[in-house]
Amino acid sequence: MSTHQKKTALRWLRTLVAFTAVAIMLFPIYSIIVASFESTLTLFSTQFHFFPYHPTLDNYRTVVLGTQSGPAAAVTASGSQLGHVLTSLEIALGTTLLTLVISVPAAYALAKYRMRTTIFFIGALLLAQIVPSIVLATSLFAILLKVHLSNTLPGVIIADGTYAVPFGILVLRAFLFSLPNELMHSARVDGASEWQTFRMIVIPLARSAIITVAVFAFLAGWGDFIFALTTLNGASFEPITLGIYSFLGNYQANWGAVMAAGVVALVPAGVLLVIAQRYIATGLTAGAVKG
Amino acid sequence: MPGRATQGSMDSQAEGALPAPPRIGALAALRTARRRGPFSRLSGSRKQQLAGWLFLTPAIAYVLFAFATPIVYNVALSFEHDSLSTIGSISAPWAGISNYTAMFHDPIAQSAIVHTLVFTVGSLAGQFIIGLSLALLFSTQFPGRTVARSLVIVPWLVPLIVTGVMFRFMFQQEGGAVNQILVGTGLIHNPVDWLGTTNYALLTVTIANIWLGVPFFTLLLYSALQEVPAEVKEAAMIDGANPWQRLRLVTIPMILPVIEITVLLGFVFTVKVFDLVIGMTGGGPANATQLISTWSYALGFQQFNFGEAAALNNVLLVAALVCSPLYLLLSRDQLRRSSGTGR
Repeated sequence: MSTHQKKTALRWLRTLVAFTAVAIMLFPIYSIIVASFESTLTLFSTQFHFFPYHPTLDNYRTVVLGTQSGPAAAVTASGSQLGHVLTSLEIALGTTLLTLVISVPAAYALAKYRMRTTIFFIGALLLAQIVPSIVLATSLFAILLKVHLSNTLPGVIIADGTYAVPFGILVLRAFLFSLPNELMHSARVDGASEWQTFRMIVIPLARSAIITVAVFAFLAGWGDFIFALTTLNGASFEPITLGIYSFLGNYQANWGAVMAAGVVALVPAGVLLVIAQRYIATGLTAGAVKG
Repeated sequence: MPGRATQGSMDSQAEGALPAPPRIGALAALRTARRRGPFSRLSGSRKQQLAGWLFLTPAIAYVLFAFATPIVYNVALSFEHDSLSTIGSISAPWAGISNYTAMFHDPIAQSAIVHTLVFTVGSLAGQFIIGLSLALLFSTQFPGRTVARSLVIVPWLVPLIVTGVMFRFMFQQEGGAVNQILVGTGLIHNPVDWLGTTNYALLTVTIANIWLGVPFFTLLLYSALQEVPAEVKEAAMIDGANPWQRLRLVTIPMILPVIEITVLLGFVFTVKVFDLVIGMTGGGPANATQLISTWSYALGFQQFNFGEAAALNNVLLVAALVCSPLYLLLSRDQLRRSSGTGR
């Protein structure tokens, strides 16, 4: 074999290894997608089918319509996940909005205004990222109860903001820091107020970093389980993550529905992966390397 | 519209790229500053100072409400006798250190601390080895490299509770894909009850968490590897270093700063894992996978023993913050830059 052939063979060998690794990484996701189309009977057999065995949409029907409680009873909406999807969307969008409203101006202030306290704020935000959610959840439950925000959408959104706000400020600040000061100076010279400079110069320039933070905040709000579990423990609504958990509670009857609800919960992530992949990769690295 | 010249120069830029500083504006700024004299500059900077604080106000209010208050309140809770009836009121009976003594004598809390340690160390070791291997692989040339690299980040996007469900399903004793593959290939003879036996459950949960963290490690280490100059690797190759020596003596020392911060962030993510374990085992069987986070939840929200839960939370907080001096040290670039205002 010539050196050239050897090199080509080595490259294809790498491809083989890389895609085997990718297949292993994606297999768990594949397995619940397949399982979501299986009948409950198949799921309870002792055999896992690598390809859909008797494909059915029953599980998705359960997710959309809810579970039928007895032969005579009408279909109840209690088990339907559609409301949960809507709640999840509201929470995710609310978390995104809250994160942006707080973090964009704060990042600008920390990047471009000379303040003696800046280093203190950055340090505090770096530490805030470390605080485990369960630590916040236990006391936030009590605090939200006191300010009458427990079991409300704003309450859970405020709690979910703890995932994204420190990250958002730090990432946006690192980005804004690299913008030349002359841009703001010249806007001021031209008579723009501080607010106009922020709105018309800073925000448009920071667009890509803002999208990164927005994607991150959306995914954090959508995927949140712990704050929904602790702050919505008596609410009339719940996000899909809690819906999956309740299906799981009585999974003896609902293993298929758990799978279908799980697949539904994957949809936004999948959509964002396709349309905003660049921002997701940036977000993953930005917090650590630059921030 | 103010700053038209600036605006124009921005429009021509590709997004994300840095626009060249508009010289005209900068010169004008200098000229105006000189013309206005020291007094108006002072009042201008005071106006800016005020604007800076106003921009920061929402963030300060939020951090005080959502971080500072809960942390302080958690300390208060840990010294109180709280129940569901007192949790909503301002004060509760003083408990002294009894919550802490109860917690440290609680065998489940003790084992939860040990489990958290084992789980964290095991996860980080697995994530680092697999993440570095994949990062090294992706730094070489091969067909399909870009596609493979972008697919590897997918697990990171899955909501954690769904990850728990997926792994619970895959590791079922009967009808689970893992046992079927292992029995099918002859690696084991009888299906293992991965999540039902105390010996295997923690290992299985750790495997799931490794899966979860590999994308993060791969991506960060990969981007660090891109920064290693090709000349350095070539020089080592010319000096006759074998691949293992090149990795150990050249590549790893060069990316060490990124390795440090990645492992540290991995540590921070791992000590707070909650959803994954709740979804997979709920802390069982027989508390074999009970972590500090899950046991704290059970104490607070299921047994309404908020005092002991808060005490355990403080242990977790201290464990997470123990690494904070190290974290701040590794983030020193960001802190150092914070004294200025950028370019």
